Amino acid sequence: MLDETKPGMECAEFEALLTDAIDNNNANADAGQLSPARRQSFDAHRRDCAVCGPLFADVQAGQQWLRSLEAVEPPPHLLHNILVATSGVLSTRLPATRRDGRTTPFAERLRERWDSFFTPVAAFVRQPRFAMSFGMIFFSFSLALNVAGVKPKDVAKLDLRPSALRHAYNDAQIKVVQYYDNIRFVYEIESKLRELKRANTPAEPGPAPQKENPKNNTSGQPEQRQDRNYSQEYNQPVLAALRGGVGNASPAVTATTNRRFV
Amino acid sequence: MEEAQVVGLLVRRAVGGDAAAWEEIVQRHHRRIYNVCYRFAGDSDNAQDLTQEVFIKMYRTLSSYDSSKGAFMTWVTTITRNLLVDHFRKSKGDRITDSLDSVPSEHEDAQPLSEQIADRGIAPDAAVQSRETREMVHFALQKLSPELREAVILRDLQDMDYREIATALRVPEGTVKSRINRGRAELARLLQRTYKQVI
Repeated sequence: MLDETKPGMECAEFEALLTDAIDNNNANADAGQLSPARRQSFDAHRRDCAVCGPLFADVQAGQQWLRSLEAVEPPPHLLHNILVATSGVLSTRLPATRRDGRTTPFAERLRERWDSFFTPVAAFVRQPRFAMSFGMIFFSFSLALNVAGVKPKDVAKLDLRPSALRHAYNDAQIKVVQYYDNIRFVYEIESKLRELKRANTPAEPGPAPQKENPKNNTSGQPEQRQDRNYSQEYNQPVLAALRGGVGNASPAVTATTNRRFV
Repeated sequence: MEEAQVVGLLVRRAVGGDAAAWEEIVQRHHRRIYNVCYRFAGDSDNAQDLTQEVFIKMYRTLSSYDSSKGAFMTWVTTITRNLLVDHFRKSKGDRITDSLDSVPSEHEDAQPLSEQIADRGIAPDAAVQSRETREMVHFALQKLSPELREAVILRDLQDMDYREIATALRVPEGTVKSRINRGRAELARLLQRTYKQVI
């Protein structure tokens, strides 16, 4: 501020007395008091000085604006949050009121417990940083599902019955086993192992005569393999349903099953 | 029993582990600290976080309070002010006092402060005590530099005397008065300019 010299008082002195003068105007008991002579000199400078006059008006107006602001009430859960974050004790006042002999209804106690748990949690979750984190998680999850080819409408059509789930599980298992068995590398390793095993075992008296026509074996795969894939390839007696009791001489039907178990 | 003695007794009990005494201290001061934080930070979420931090720090350092060195409220205000300054430095960085027609930042579309306030659509003919007016004053308060803001908050909103403010802010009493004058004048010019533009 300019240090203009005015009769009786300078601008620097005026500014130093400004707060006291304004507090005097507001009859503030705590404020420093201006003597009548200094007050007169102060007012004279205020009227005459082109800088200090408007300054006084601005400061006074600013104070009035600020005094128009009322105290705000803190959120109800703030006290609870502070106590939990510091001493860890929720409140010592609530049990004290109960000791007066009043019985608290069950619904009220339930509500108090509910509030004591969920109010701070809700306040915690509502914070902007957590809202941002939840948003990021949501977008990441939806992006991952999109990349994986999962569509919400497919999820809605998902059949969650136990039988359907069992069926889906069996289908998946069959696909995996088929895939594994048909891998060339796996097949070659298994063949080598069988050859090594056969080479290490002592020679048998002689090859057993084949029961089936060798012409049928056109796959060129080892017999062992076929035995596994085409199991139960032998004559199996199947008894027809007995009617009329055990004593009846029911004919035994010989059937050849050629069912493939995966 | 005097207020200072009551507070001293509460502090001693709280330091000794009395949860009820600590709760009494929190109960007595949390509203005031929340108000200081709210007026300084500008929004409720930050004010709640800061108030909680103030009490956490107070709880940890309660044993270091010496009643012979000053009033408990001044000690609490000093803790609050230090945390507010830390918060301000972390969140926004130091900011110089904005003049009326200066451009506050590149992110605010090169608008002067008075236009920013006017753009909030607050009715100019509202009564001084109306909610809109208070919101406008609160918003204008955020435009003051932190030094001026804390001085006028402690003086005009918390009714602290100059000596207590000087102790809390760790500056001479003359500096406190100067900051209060500048803060009030800056705020008034900002609001008067806004009214003139809107009208």
